[in-house]
Order: sequence, then C-alpha cells, then structure tokens
Amino acid sequence: MLKYTIKRLLYSVLILFFVMFIIYVLMYNMPAGYIETKAMELANKQNSTRSFDEWLKFLNAQYGMDKGPFIGYFTWLGNVFRGNLGDSWKWTQPVTEVFKDAIWYSFALGLVSFIFEIIIAIPLGIKAAKNQYGVVDYSASAFAMICISMPTFFLATLLKYIFAVKLKWFDISGMQGKFYDQLSPFMQFLDVAKHFILPSVTLIIISIGGLMRYTRTNMLEVLNADYIRTARAKGVPEKKVISHHAFRNTLIPLITTLGGSLPGLFSGALITETLFAIRGIGFRSYESMVVGDIPFTMFYLAFISILTLLGNLIADLLYAAVDPRVRLS
Amino acid sequence: MSEMKKNNYLNDALKKRAEEKENEAAESAGEVKLDDLSRVKVLSPARKVFKRFMRNRLAVFGAYVLIAMFLFAFAGPLFYPYGQKQVFNKYDTQNINYAQAKKLASYTGYPVGDEVDVPSSVNNMMNSYIKSMIEAGEETKDVVAEGAAYSIKRIEDGVYSLSAAESEEICTAGVSEIKAGVFSRGSKSFEAAEGVELPEGLDAYLAENGLSGQSGEFEFGGVKFNYSRSANEKTKLDVFTHYEGVVYAGSSLGEEFEKAVLTAIEKGESALSFDGTDYLIANDGDSSRVFSTGEFKTAKVFTSLVLDKHDQESDFTDEMRVGALLAAGGEGVFSVGGKDYSVEKVDEYLIVKDSDGKEIAEFSPLSIRRQSGQDTIEYDLKRSIASAIEEMDEKGVKTATIVHDIPLQDSETGQQMLDEEGNVIVNSTEMLITRTDTGVYNVTCDQVLYLIDRYAPPSATHILGTDGDGFDVFARIMYGGRISLLVGFVVIFLEIIIGVILGGLAGFYGKWVDMIIMRLVDIFYCIPSMPILIIFGVLMDYQRLNPYLRLFVMMAILGLLGWAGVARMVRGQILSLREQEFMTAAEATGIKTSTRIFKHLIPNVMPQLIVIATMGIGGVIITESTLSFLGLGVKHPLATWGTMINSVSSQQAVKMYPYIWIPVGLLICITVVAFNFVGDGLRDAYDPRSKK
Repeated sequence: MLKYTIKRLLYSVLILFFVMFIIYVLMYNMPAGYIETKAMELANKQNSTRSFDEWLKFLNAQYGMDKGPFIGYFTWLGNVFRGNLGDSWKWTQPVTEVFKDAIWYSFALGLVSFIFEIIIAIPLGIKAAKNQYGVVDYSASAFAMICISMPTFFLATLLKYIFAVKLKWFDISGMQGKFYDQLSPFMQFLDVAKHFILPSVTLIIISIGGLMRYTRTNMLEVLNADYIRTARAKGVPEKKVISHHAFRNTLIPLITTLGGSLPGLFSGALITETLFAIRGIGFRSYESMVVGDIPFTMFYLAFISILTLLGNLIADLLYAAVDPRVRLS
Repeated sequence: MSEMKKNNYLNDALKKRAEEKENEAAESAGEVKLDDLSRVKVLSPARKVFKRFMRNRLAVFGAYVLIAMFLFAFAGPLFYPYGQKQVFNKYDTQNINYAQAKKLASYTGYPVGDEVDVPSSVNNMMNSYIKSMIEAGEETKDVVAEGAAYSIKRIEDGVYSLSAAESEEICTAGVSEIKAGVFSRGSKSFEAAEGVELPEGLDAYLAENGLSGQSGEFEFGGVKFNYSRSANEKTKLDVFTHYEGVVYAGSSLGEEFEKAVLTAIEKGESALSFDGTDYLIANDGDSSRVFSTGEFKTAKVFTSLVLDKHDQESDFTDEMRVGALLAAGGEGVFSVGGKDYSVEKVDEYLIVKDSDGKEIAEFSPLSIRRQSGQDTIEYDLKRSIASAIEEMDEKGVKTATIVHDIPLQDSETGQQMLDEEGNVIVNSTEMLITRTDTGVYNVTCDQVLYLIDRYAPPSATHILGTDGDGFDVFARIMYGGRISLLVGFVVIFLEIIIGVILGGLAGFYGKWVDMIIMRLVDIFYCIPSMPILIIFGVLMDYQRLNPYLRLFVMMAILGLLGWAGVARMVRGQILSLREQEFMTAAEATGIKTSTRIFKHLIPNVMPQLIVIATMGIGGVIITESTLSFLGLGVKHPLATWGTMINSVSSQQAVKMYPYIWIPVGLLICITVVAFNFVGDGLRDAYDPRSKK
C-alpha cells in the first residue's frame, strides 16, 4: 500500500511536470500584451529610471520570458521551489495573497454545494433504483439528465432572471449588498450568505444529476446481487434489505468517487463564480487568464492540476481501503 | 464477430429458402406449414440492438428530438425566408429640429478683390459702425483706424461697402490737449515743456500748493490744467493744458488751409478738398483730426442678407455674391466671368437673375438653415418657411404649420435614401414653426428615418424578434444550430480517431508503448480543459483570427483535449479482447497485425465507441456554447447558440430580451438531453446485462 502510494505520487509529480510544461508553453506564446502594458506603465511613471525598452527587458528577464520556453519553464519551476510564486499582474499583489483572499469563498461555495448534492442526489438515486421503471425512476432519470445537460451559464442566467430580475429576491451578482458596511458582523455574514444562495443552487443543480445516476446504477447492481436475493428469501424486511444490505454495498463506489472529489472543493467554479461575481479563485483566475496574467494563471493551473491528481489518488486509495476485496499493486 | 457472420449466412440462406417457399406458396394458394422455415426468424445483432433501443421510451424520444433538431438546423434554413446575415430595417419617425430661421443682426464681410487688406480690428468694429449709422440715419461714415482712412457707405438695406484709403494725419483742429510740463512730487519742481506758452508764476504756484492724487484738475491764471501720473516715473505727474486752434502733426500748411479746415468743421463736413488734395476730417468731440487721404478703394462689402440659391447644386461664387451686392444700390447690373447678371430689389429681397432673366438666387434677410448650420435646405422649402414666418409676424402668432416633402433619411449613413431610379424618396411631412422669445424660428417635424430594426420583439414577421445587429433571431438559431451540431460531430470524430489509434496501439502492443501512451493519457486527463480553452480563446483574440479559421482551430483544440477518455476506454477493451480465443485464432491463422487490429479488434469496440461518441457530442456542445458565451469561442458574424446568448448577456440585455436567450438556451439544453438519452439508450441496447 505504502509502496503503491509512493509510486503513484512519483507518477503524479512526473505528470504534473509535463502538464505544467504544456501550460507554460501556451502561456509563453501569449502575445505578452500584459508585459508590454506593464513596461509602458512603469516607464511612464514620473520617477522612472528606465526607458520602455529597458523595462520590457527587465520584466521579461524577471519572468524568464527572454530565454525561450524551456529555460523559462525551469526558471519558473526554480522560483516555485524557492517559494517565490511571483506577483499577480492583474491583481498587483503576491499570488499567494490573492490565493488566500479568494480560496475560502470558493471552498465555502464548493462545500455547501457538495453537502446539498449528497443530501439530495443519493436518496433520490436510491429511490429511483428501488422503483426501477416506475414513475419516480423515469422522472428522476429525466431530471438528472436535464441537470447534466444544462449549460452552467444558461442555468445561472435563468436563475438570475427568475430570482433576481423578476422576483427580486436576490441581487443579480456580487457578494455584498448595498448597505453591507452599515451591518453588524453577524448580519454581514448573513448578507454574504444570501449572495451565495444562487451560485450554490446553480452548482447543486449542475452536479446533482451525475451523482444521482451514479447512485442509481450502483444501487441497481447491488439490488441484483445474489446476497440481496438471499436476504429477501430469508424474509428480511425490505426496509432492512435496502438500508443494511444494499445501501452499505452501494456506499463503496460512492465513497470512492466522493472522496476523490474532495480536493475539487478547493478548485473553484470558474463559470459560476464569474457569472455571479463571487470573488473566489475561479473568478480571479478567469480575470487573470483573460488579460494574460502569467504568474497567477500558472499558479492556478498548477493548483487545480495538483487537485485533480490528488483526487485520483484519493479515489484509488479509498477504493482499496473501503473494499477489502481490492488489493492494490 | 464470428457469431454475427454466422447469423448473416443463416439469414441469407433463410431468405433464399423463404423466397423459394413463397413461390411455392403462391402456387399452392397460401398454405403455411408448421415446419415452414419462413416462420423462424433470426435477428441480426444490429436488428436486436435496434429492437431493444426502440423499447426504451426516453431513448426514442431523444432520437425523435435529434431528428427534429437536425431537420431544423440543416433543412430549416432552406424553407425559412431569411438568411443568417440578413439585416432588417424599419421606418421610424423621429421628431427632430429640422431647421432654424432667424433674421441676422450681424454683418458678414466679403472681400472685393484682394488688393486691400482690412485689418481685423476694423472688421470687428464694422457691426457697431453700421449699427451707429443705422441709428443716426447716415448714408456714409468715415473712420480712421490703424493709420488708414475708411469710408463706409450704405448701398442698400443690409448692404454696406467698406472703402479704404491710405491716409496721413495732418493736424488737429479745435481744442486739443497739449503737454505743459512735468511736475516732480519729491522736489515740488515744475519743468515746463518747450514751446508752450504758460501763465507767469505757474512754477511758484505749483511749488507752493503741490498736486495731490493720481490725477486731477486745477486752474491758474485763467487757464485750465489737468494732470495725471506720468507713465514712466511714478513720482512725476504730467501736466496738460488745452489749446484751441490748429496743431500740426508735421509742418504747417499755412493760414489758408487752417481757415478752410475750421470752416469745414463748423459746417460739420467730413471731407475737404484743398489745393487739389483730399482731406478727411474725423470729428472727435471738441477737436477734429484732419487726414490727408489717397484714393479710396472698395475693400469689402458687408451684408446681413443671406444668399439662397434656387438650385442647391448650382455654383454661386463669392465673386458673384460681391458683384451682386455692390450692384444692388446702383444700376443693378454686374458681370462676372464674362456673364451678365442683374440684381433687383423686391420687398426686402435682392433677386439675382442671369442674362436670360432667369432667377438664380436671392439675398434674403431671413437665414434659414438646418439645425447644424448647413445650408442644405432646398429653395422651395426655404420660400415656404419664409412666407409662413411673414404671415406669422403679420398675424402676431407664435406658431404656424406648413406641409412639405422631406427626404427619407438613412439613420446609419445620414444619407438621403434613393429609390430604384436614383430619386430621393420624400415624405409629405407636416412641419411646425415656432417663434421663440429670442426671435428665432424653430422648424420641427417628424422625419421618417430608415434604420436597422434592432431588438424587435417577437412578431409575425420575426418569430423570435431580431437581435442587436438587426438579424432575425429564428434564422440565426437555425444557422447557429448547424455550427453547434457540426462542432459537436467534428470534435467527437477527432477525439475518436486519435483515441482509437493511440488506445489501440497501447492496448495491442502493451509494454513500453502502453506505458508511454498511458502516461500521455494521464497528462491529457490532468490538463484542466476549460482554462486551457479560455487561454486559447484569448490567444486567438490577440491574433485576430478570421472567424472561420478560428472555428477550425477551436474544433482541433477541443478534439486534442478530449481524446484521452476514448483512448483509455479503447485500451481497456482491447486488453480484454486480446486474450479471447478469436484473437488467438486470428494470430494462429497468420493474419497481419493491421488487419487484426482494424478488422477484428476495433469492430468489437464499436458499440462502446458509438455510445461514448453520442454522449460526448452533448458535452462538446456545452463546452463550445460556454466558450462562445464567454466571447472566446466562435465569433461574430458566425452564429452559434453560445454566441447568440453572449450577445444578450449584459445585465441590461438579460432583463430586456429574454425572448432571445431563453429559447436558445432551451434549445441547447434539449439537444444535449436528447444526445444523452440516445447515448444511454444505445448503451443499454448494446449491453442488455446492465439493464435487467
């Protein structure tokens, strides 16, 4: 197990190395609009000591942009290992500062959606499996399919239109109401929470379908297993069959996937955050990517790549941990 | 595979037999026996799958939706009257300030020839000179400024000529102020100027009394003095006395001249001829200044009248204008450029006719111009506005209406709209003339404008209205559907090709090939695709790629980012198939590797591939529309469902135009749902074990 974990970790590092290289080459080829603007800005400052060209050279050297993608990539890697992630160009702050500001909003949003997703999707999936081909099954399946097929941006816009424009229950976007500054700390918290409702609902609806279908499929598989037939034959009450025998066995794949998606709680919701102007990591990174902010984008992409790899690793390890039949090699 | 072939053979054989039997049956009048082979039907695997698929209601529903969607997107435009880039226009009226009419109070000067330059100070003063002439009822006025003599002459009401002549100041006649001396405050001493007669004892008087203040007056010995602070030295005061008589600027011209000047001043004349020279007398209160003058030349003609040409296109040069104005007071004839013209005064107007006696232009006291100040109003309209204003003034009312043809204007270009024969399209329009308190007449009317029909609400002509470019939304949805569906298919095709090749290689060869390819798969699995697509979108924005090229690049990138899943699936399948007996048999028969892969392995992966592709198209459509929604995917003028929503994604537009984005969004949703239903149904149909 330990050996397997170490092997997987080493693989992950290798994969990460190449993934970041591909991303770096891509960012490297951005027509450096930002560096030029930045150099212009610095050169036009009153007490500027360098000309535009000198600034451009300086900035390029600082970000390793002048030595070609290979050396540039290693410059970036070297900086990262020294703990120097650079300053975000867009937010004019150290990357880690921006990250610290943003990540908890994203995590809160992710966690709330994750909890509700589990609460809604798993019981629904089990219910659908129990009544296979029944009305509940068909409607739940159709609902799940619609959730899966809904483009995030359309759902978000629709929710905004219904609840913010027509019913006026919420603000259209943003994290704080107009009178945020005049509220007591507790009311401020409630105000922010209120602004998180629509984005959370969006995320819940988008993710609910997949989990529901997954639960249903696995439950069906378990319900068709021999030991369930045996249990029923023994005269175990149906309730007990479902809750004791079937559900526990369904939990194996569920825990594996849910565990695997835990790191994803930190990755932020790019589209949803952007559309609702929630200043989480997704929104920040979108803004950064659009202007070609290399330090922050590189950081963010590295971050979510690590989260993905971590998720896969956790899922595999959990699989072995939960199901004693599985042996990892 | 082998089973399928067997079935086919069996089916063929059965068919043959059945045909034979049918022939027999036809002969023996439709008798069916129990052992009749036609009663036994063996379904091919494809038919089996089809049958199972048709039993799944959701899948069938999805299939119908997809067929409808394809017909809608690909065949629909053939029957729909509008194209995707057809701009729709509409006529709309807008109340505009069409023109403004006013009587000009100021005079504008036009140079006569270019011999004489008139300094700007004189030009600037002309309006007040003319005003004073009108108030005093004078016909002529002489002015001396900047070392030259000017003579202003009234030619006609509102027309004045300005003549200039070089002049030299000869003398001042009458009471003139002369410098008596300088008084120093400090030493209280008075220094008399040379050549001035002063009463005795003035120095003593001043030394005793002094002078107070900056300026003032005092009287001594029957003579009046005034003083003011010297310009050069602050402690000194210049003392002036008055002198009555003639003071020469230059040398004296003798008693005779002085006498003549004084008589002329007494008579109030402003010109004098003495000894063959002309003199000009400029009266300046107590004294008059006398100038000798050269020949007067007409330098400019000033007028408050406004020229209105009968034909807007015709040429009426400044030369003609000046000629006409100068001739107005005299015999009324002038010629410019070898052509004769005549000017005639009718009421307040000066009518200009050419040699044939045809009226070509007129000078009017009323300036009628477009609100912008441009002189683009045709003569007829000017005339009717002018006569309406006259009537208004007579009756003493403040408003009047006239009806006149106003050209139809294209609000995009600001040009007048032409019909097919090139004539200006006009609309009979009611115009309202209002007199303001400042004496300006504003002409307003509802002008018909030809403009792009933006954001028209749904109507019979446009089922879903029009968008911000004046395109028909319904037509755009159809064409957008084409691109969205096409993107889905092309991308999935790419993914499948790359995935099958790489996955097949990995699965078939195993070992290091597998190792390398699977690490590649891991890498592509790990790459966050949405951020990468956004970055690519921004990159292509910088490059300003042409929208069509951009579409292809985007499809290629989507395909490159998506193949990893297919490869992983194909590899897994092939790994298990490789161990099966039929593959061992294939290897034993010595079939070559490529045939083994493409003829024996891949067809067995086909079902899973079809399922993955069907489900994947939905995902690609969502990704594409999300990108386009962010403005980083397909670009205007190409329509996709995502760009259509993007065009109304601002907060204001979302509120105002739900009839654009809601149908489009629902369409995306329905299409993706349908693909997923069909994919689901296909999977269940191919693998009945999963759906017991």
